[in-house]
Amino acid sequence: MIDMYLLYFLMIFAAVSAVGVVTFRNIFHGAICLGAMLLGIAGIYLIMGAEFVFAVQVLVYVGGILTLILFAIMLTSKIADRSILQANEQKTVSFLISAITLFVLIYAIVKTPFTTVQGPFIVVDTARIGKSLFLNNILPFEVISILLLAALVGAIVLARKDIKK
Amino acid sequence: MIAIQELLIFNSVIFAIGIYGALTRRNTIGILMSIELIFNSACLNFIVFGKYLYPSLLSGDIFVLFIITVAAAEVAVALALLLCIYRNSKNIFIEKISLMRG
Repeated sequence: MIDMYLLYFLMIFAAVSAVGVVTFRNIFHGAICLGAMLLGIAGIYLIMGAEFVFAVQVLVYVGGILTLILFAIMLTSKIADRSILQANEQKTVSFLISAITLFVLIYAIVKTPFTTVQGPFIVVDTARIGKSLFLNNILPFEVISILLLAALVGAIVLARKDIKK
Repeated sequence: MIAIQELLIFNSVIFAIGIYGALTRRNTIGILMSIELIFNSACLNFIVFGKYLYPSLLSGDIFVLFIITVAAAEVAVALALLLCIYRNSKNIFIEKISLMRG
């Protein structure tokens, strides 16, 4: 029962932080809100019994991606100034588009009969994830490691200063 | 255990907020952050469907791990590109980056 209230609290927390991400005038505050939202989603993972995904979310998203975003904001610091307008003039149209998308999604969710399994969430232990990752999903795992290597090399090549000049 | 519909509706709300942010932000980093919102709602959707419909399988968790990896790679490359653009044009507002417009 307490899990349920915690889940509701985390959902509201994450939703409010998400609104902060897209509306804050100062992009730095938006990035902090993004961190709060990521932590809220991580808590939802933990309550739903996906422990390893929770750990990866905190480590990679909050520890890695958010830090990268904060670095980029600080390196382009003049852009993050308060006086500069951060939203463009298509606010109404964008709001309409997202509202229509939300309406269609909620309509589909409410109309679809789901045959769900009842009972508490099953906790997935990390050993099972490791076995599945290295036995059944070994090919995607290797492909994604090549992708990461390519992204690493590409990011370094793009971000370094030109030495030849 | 709360109903699956509530969690799915919550994910849709996050998704819609992400779309709104991606369409309205002028700062390219803001657009990236909104896209992260969309990624997270999709990830949570995978976990929700895995837990509620097929609790004995691990596909949801594995999929989310791969999505997070690809998102990390994407953000690294995107921010490197941004720094490159900022060095050359001193600007990262999306309407000013019209170098490749015909």
